[in-house]
Formats: sequence, C-alpha cells, structure tokens
Amino acid sequence: MGRRDPVQLHRVYGGKIEVVPKVPLASLDDFSVWYTPGVAEVSLAIEKNPDLSFELTSRWNIVAVVSDATRVLGLGRLKPEAAYPVMEGKALLFKYLGGVDAIPVIHKNTSTSDFVDLVKSLEPSFGGVNIEDIESPKCFEVLDILRRELEIPVWHDDQQGTAAATLAGLINAFNIVGKNLRESKFVLFGAGAANIALYNLLRRYGVPASNIVVLDRKGVLHPDRDDIDRLLFSNPYKYRIALETGGGGLRPGAGPEEALKGADALIAASRPGPGVIKPEWISLMAKDPIVFALANPTPEIWPEEAKRAGAKVVATGRSDLPNQVNNALVFPGVFRGALDVRAKGISDGMVIAAAEELAEYAKEHGISEERILPGLEDWKVHARVAAAVASKATEEGLARKPTTYRVEYERALEIISRARKLSRMASE
Amino acid sequence: MYEAGFTVRPPRPEDAEKLAELMYRFYAFNEEFDPAWVLGENADIKAREEASKLASGETADIAFIAEFEGSIVGYIRGYLRALPMLKESIVGVITELYVHPRFRGKKIGALLIERFAEEARRRGASRIAAEIPSSNVVAERFYSKLGFRKFMTTFIREV
Repeated sequence: MGRRDPVQLHRVYGGKIEVVPKVPLASLDDFSVWYTPGVAEVSLAIEKNPDLSFELTSRWNIVAVVSDATRVLGLGRLKPEAAYPVMEGKALLFKYLGGVDAIPVIHKNTSTSDFVDLVKSLEPSFGGVNIEDIESPKCFEVLDILRRELEIPVWHDDQQGTAAATLAGLINAFNIVGKNLRESKFVLFGAGAANIALYNLLRRYGVPASNIVVLDRKGVLHPDRDDIDRLLFSNPYKYRIALETGGGGLRPGAGPEEALKGADALIAASRPGPGVIKPEWISLMAKDPIVFALANPTPEIWPEEAKRAGAKVVATGRSDLPNQVNNALVFPGVFRGALDVRAKGISDGMVIAAAEELAEYAKEHGISEERILPGLEDWKVHARVAAAVASKATEEGLARKPTTYRVEYERALEIISRARKLSRMASE
Repeated sequence: MYEAGFTVRPPRPEDAEKLAELMYRFYAFNEEFDPAWVLGENADIKAREEASKLASGETADIAFIAEFEGSIVGYIRGYLRALPMLKESIVGVITELYVHPRFRGKKIGALLIERFAEEARRRGASRIAAEIPSSNVVAERFYSKLGFRKFMTTFIREV
C-alpha cells in the first residue's frame, strides 16, 4: 500500500469494516426464511433456550470492542468518536488474524459502574467482549467485575494480552539462560495495567510472591510505604501487591538499583525511553539477566545498550527489533478458541495455556537469544493458540460446546484461512 | 479462628512511642476523607502526647494494642457514651482502629474489636458502635462484615 496519508486513506474507504451476508440470497423470497415470517420460529426456539443464540445466530462469532476513550493509544483521553478508528483497526486485526467479527462499541459511560452496567446489558448481543483503551486503575475493576458477572469471554488486551505474550517470552528466555522460572527473582518496573496483570499471571503460573518486586514511580511497592493506606483506596491492586510481596524484603524507600541487585529478570512496562532503565542497573543483576523493555514507541533502554550491560536475552514491544512482545500473537487465537467452544469466560488457566502454546510453538521452530517468540507473519500460530485455549476451556468445564485440541486446530485453521481469503478479496 | 502468635492487651507506658506512630498513621490516613480531618502542623508531637496518656492509663478511654513477637502492630481506642434516657443507656464507641499494613488480613482488627466489646460490656455497655469518615468505603465494608449496621449520620459544616 506504500506510505500514504492515513486520513486520506480512511476517507477513500469510508472506514475499514463492513457487514456482509453469508447466507444464500437468490431472490427476495429467501427473506421469508431469513426474516419474517420464518425467523419467528427461530426466535421461539431461542426463547425456550437462550444458549441456542450461540448456534442459530451470528452471536457466537461476534465480539464487541468496547471503549470509553479514556486512554487511547498513547494519546490519553479523547472524545469517544476519536477512538472509533482505533477500535475499527482492532476489529480489522480480529478478523484478519482470528476470523472473529468484531464491532466497535464506543460510549460515554466513563464511570466504572456505568461502564459495567452498559456492557452487562449488551451481553445478549455478543459472543465475547474485548475492552480497549481504558484508563488505569479503572480498567482492573471493570475487567474484574465483567469477568465475574458475564457468561461470555471478557478480555482486556493491555492486561491479559500483554501479560500472556510476556509470559510466553519469559518461558523461552528462561529456557535459554537455563534457569527455573518459578525459582527466579523478578523485578517489575512500572505498575500499570501490563505489569499488574503480569504479576497476577506469574503468581498463577507458580512464582511465589516473595520472588517478585514491583516498582512504581515512587519506588518499591512496600507495606511500610508512606502512601500505603492511600493506595488502599486509590489503587487497591497496587496495595495488594505491596502486602503480598512484602516489598521483597527491601527497605520501604528502595529504588530500582536495590531491587535489581541479584534479580534474574527485569520486566519494564513504564514510560517511553531510552534512558528510563540505566545500564548500570542491569549490571547489578544476577548472571545472564533477562530484560524486557516494553514501553512504546521507544523501549526504556535500547537492546544494544542492555546487552552491553550484560543482558543475555532482551525483548521489546517493537516490530523492528528482535523479540517483539506483541499482544497480536495472543488475542486472535484466544478469542478464536473461546468463541468456538462458546466459552463462559476466559480463565487465568486459559491465558496461561495460550502463553505456553505460544512458547511451545516458538520452540518447535527453533529459539535463540534473538528469537524467543513466534513472528506475526506465521498465521498458523493463532490456530495453535485457539486449540490450546479451547481444550483448556473444555478441561475446566467452561465450554458450552466441548472440543478437543485436534478438532479445534482444524476448525480454527479453516475459519482463519477463510477470513484471510475474504480480506484478500477486499484488496482486489 | 485467629492466626497464632498475636496477643491483645491494654497498652503500657513503654508502648507509647510505637503507639504514637500507629496513631499518627491512623490520622494521616483519614486526612484525605474530609477537610475537617486535615492534620495540624505538630500532629506528630500531639500523637506522642496522646499515646503516652493512653499508655499510662490517664484517660477514661478504652484502649487495646495488638502485639506480635514483641512489636505493636495495631491498636483500638474508644469511649463510653451515656444516653441516660434510653432503656439501654451505655454504648461503647470505637473512634480509632488501625492495623499496620504488613499485618493486615490476619483478623487482628476483629480481635481488637472483640476485646473492646468485652471491656465495654464489663463497664456496663450493651452495644458497641464505630465512628468512621463517611467516605471510607473500606471501613464501611469492614464493619458491615463484622455485624455492625448503619446507625447515626454525622453532619458537619464550617462556622
């Protein structure tokens, strides 16, 4: 497509997605089946058993991409309309990578309870919900409540997506340096959506809280910190981490240098660098340290610099550098798998299954210091993730329509390759 | 029911310093709820004075501290309120309760309240109550879980 003016291109196409019929329509007579009077029978069948809506309507494959536009990309709070092109772009990725029909739902309900109420009342329209670009810490509460109260998959990429992709990268990075992930020391630099979700996922994966130290702008999250009682109200998620980790046994005012002494892995998800992570800090870490610098558009430290300071494996969020930790490796397959089994939700177990499958896939294709994760160009990875997620959902009793790994893999391949064909048709 | 190793007892004079720190933390914590709670400049000195009064038993207040391995990790303080016209005329009112963050989630708060209730009953109270800033939702949940119900509402204004 070349480098052209994005505004001009969006104008040419008048947006990026559209609804296309998928049933035979030879003449207007066919509407007596697809619409009245025939459709009434379908309605009555669903009336008796609402779960039939996943079989008799498009609901099973439709995901709402929901945003209140309070933290759009790196741009901060925007007018809801201004978030539309972003949500539409996400919908395009959903279709192209995962064969999922995604619909932008942007709204003005910025309070947690209004946001939650809105999504809850929309539940019957969708097979899943992807919340997007919501400010922290509201995003935690919204996700927690919706995951608890909805009977369909709910996902927030900035939390689960980033955490799963990071965990996948960490699994292979630890493999390369020959250390046991569950017995290693982690420093999480930055306490926003990504790292708080990563903390929770690491805990679920079996890393003891005492092996993890989390830092925010003010230093280590620590039960003796001056603002600890305030955190109980302003950010209970950080508060809980402070209490669970006990601040890693460091002193209350400790900064990154003290925290990194002897640490095996540093995961920075804070603010754009370079210069945010200092090379001297990395040289304080244990032998063969792992450094993930995930800020966009520029990592907290350039990989070259991190390597000179002793880092063995370095990952960033950028596609033009080795080891890109990319949400897009995760969410298409997660939704594909969850939707195909009509899952009642996305459990942490399913998120971990996705991460392990990603790591395994990369391993099968050969991992190295410069390649701990699959590249996005290999589309089959999403079918693999879908299969892992669907079989995990089945195992955990969350599947309305249980399946096996093998069956789901074939189904996902078929759905995704069809979506890719459709996308290619659009460019003709 | 409670984790082992914690003891609850009335404060002693040698507890004053540590008690002062917890009292200061309690007030600093409440500061954000209402302008009426903003600390005075010498709040730390006042906390020490209050703590030594409480620790030496110079007040009629009911106070207990929670101790773990020799250090003080929480305290409760309150008084008896007389309402002579009522059938049951004495209420024990909790005005301050604080557990150090490091020791939360171990039911120390509940233990302190239990001891407070015992002492209030011994002194003739038939009920206990707790005063909290009205926007402190965490405290509200805490007391609700322990069987307290909403009772009075306090209004305040500048004069």
